[in-house]
Amino acid sequence: MARMPREQWYDIARDLDWELSYVDHEAVFPEWHSGQGKIPREAWARWDESYKISYPEYVATQREKEAGAYSVKAALQKSKVFDQLDEGWKSVAKEHFGATAAIEDMAVYAELRMARFGLSPAWRNMAMFGALDETRHAQIGLQFAHELVGKDPQYDWANKAYQTNEWGIIAARATFDGMMMTPNVVDTAVQLPFTFETGFSNVQFVALAADALESGDINFANMISSIQTDEARHAQQGGPTLEILMEHDPRRAQWIVDKTFWTSARLFAILTGPGMDYYTPVEMRKQSYKEFMQEWIAEQFLDQIRDYGLKRPWYWDEFIAGLDTWHHSLHLGVWYWRPTVWWKPQGGVSPEEREWLNEKYPNWEKQFGWMWDVIIENINSGRMEQTLPETLPWLCSLCHLPVGTAASPNNDKYPVRSYPLKHNGHTYHFCSRTCRQIWWEDKDTLHDPTVIERLLAGEIQPPTVEGILAWMGLTPDVMGDDAYGYRWAKAYVPAAAAAS
Amino acid sequence: MNRPVGPILRMSDDVDAIVAAIIEDNPDKDITVTDRGAYTRVSGPGELRLTRASIARQLGRDYEMRELQGLMSAFAGRIDMTSEEVRWHLGSPATISSSKSTLEEPS
Ligand SMILES: [Fe+2]
Ligand SMILES: [Fe+2]
Ligand SMILES: [Zn+2]
Repeated sequence: MARMPREQWYDIARDLDWELSYVDHEAVFPEWHSGQGKIPREAWARWDESYKISYPEYVATQREKEAGAYSVKAALQKSKVFDQLDEGWKSVAKEHFGATAAIEDMAVYAELRMARFGLSPAWRNMAMFGALDETRHAQIGLQFAHELVGKDPQYDWANKAYQTNEWGIIAARATFDGMMMTPNVVDTAVQLPFTFETGFSNVQFVALAADALESGDINFANMISSIQTDEARHAQQGGPTLEILMEHDPRRAQWIVDKTFWTSARLFAILTGPGMDYYTPVEMRKQSYKEFMQEWIAEQFLDQIRDYGLKRPWYWDEFIAGLDTWHHSLHLGVWYWRPTVWWKPQGGVSPEEREWLNEKYPNWEKQFGWMWDVIIENINSGRMEQTLPETLPWLCSLCHLPVGTAASPNNDKYPVRSYPLKHNGHTYHFCSRTCRQIWWEDKDTLHDPTVIERLLAGEIQPPTVEGILAWMGLTPDVMGDDAYGYRWAKAYVPAAAAAS
Repeated sequence: MNRPVGPILRMSDDVDAIVAAIIEDNPDKDITVTDRGAYTRVSGPGELRLTRASIARQLGRDYEMRELQGLMSAFAGRIDMTSEEVRWHLGSPATISSSKSTLEEPS
């Protein structure tokens, strides 16, 4: 039977809508959810997604995608591939599973809110596909990690992470709440599908797949790049919305993109940067984190926001400078506070790795090398206690990452310092002017005290490293340690001593 | 401004045929193909098109345009998709007076 081409029937079928007569419009589409703002209601009639798909096409395509992902998994399950993966690379996957699987589930609710409170039927229809996509992502992330739990309990954090107060999870939760749960649906569409999904998630789900495949983790590369094919489609919730917003309220549009870009960039410096530049075996790295960020963000995403008439965010130079420092500082911090994470950070500073770092980041040695030298010296002298934490660092009230990691030592332009702000008798601390600015604008929707603030308020008992670890949900079988058992540091033992 | 647009294709047996079809469908364009293993970035200045007919010819089998969705992990530019053709292009941007946040910085 010949089918009528989609173009001939789709718009009519999609635009099913009705006039409300029993209740007020405002009761069904309250402003705090629907986020109409300065946009006239008629403007939504023009909203049109361009990457169209009908429901039968959707089902057929998704079925093929699922069959593709799970058949690769089934084939590899019988092989030795997983057991041969590098311990550093495995930590990239563990960090990914823990930080993203449950967030995909949260994205289901963000999509469902858009599907319910959007002001155009086409808009709501597209968001329904998004909700189905995100359901798939949550399931596939949990499923792929689950089969590995028996081999290594750290994979259990795919499920557990967001049910804990682990500090990185608090940072991620704050960022994603601000993107998916607290904003009205118009702001959500510009924050999540537009800024996050056409910008940053490409780095985690497509760029990272390049390193995964090189590292031999075919299963993981296949899964994440398959997930992102859904993102590429449902991300279009954002573009046409941004177009309407630019016409009626460009200041609002610019602000939403700017703040989401910044909070995403901060989070990626810990989520993606260390994995690409330290954990992935050096010979397997396709590009550096900075190079991937340049390809996907500084070029592709910047082109895109310009194409919609937006300007570069006001902090652009600081963001670019941060590509040389943020993730290096955060890696050092994560490695030092390694018992507080659910993966095994790979130090990644053996002489060969260091050479790679200095080639990719010419200021690396001056900025970070000397701090690693102290750590190496302590490892090689058997003073392990000095390579482990006794306290917590001060954390930023907006991004929840350590104050000092939006800057770096020996960098005069962005020196290490806290940016404080007194409000209602309380002094808040921030890693950067930009975090402080965003917090100031959004403070009415932010209710996440930092771990340090909770510690000082007496919420964490006993207030010792052991007490903090227990409070974060880290059990001894899961707590992170150096991926290679410190063997990389041996290369720095003077030859004579090593020979004896 | 003729910034690059085009698809980013994930690892799949069909990638080579699709790249060939894009080249065939855009004879006047300078097309760049960047192979990073797990993904291949195909770029051309300003606008690229790709037809179902060319893909079917290159693959030597019937092809439904929706199948492309299974291997397009991302794309640069905007997209238009019908049952016969997909087009990546740039929009006609609106204008905005200032990017500088006009909000007061707290002190
Ligand atoms: Fe997703
Ligand atoms: Fe998504
Ligand atoms: Zn911050």
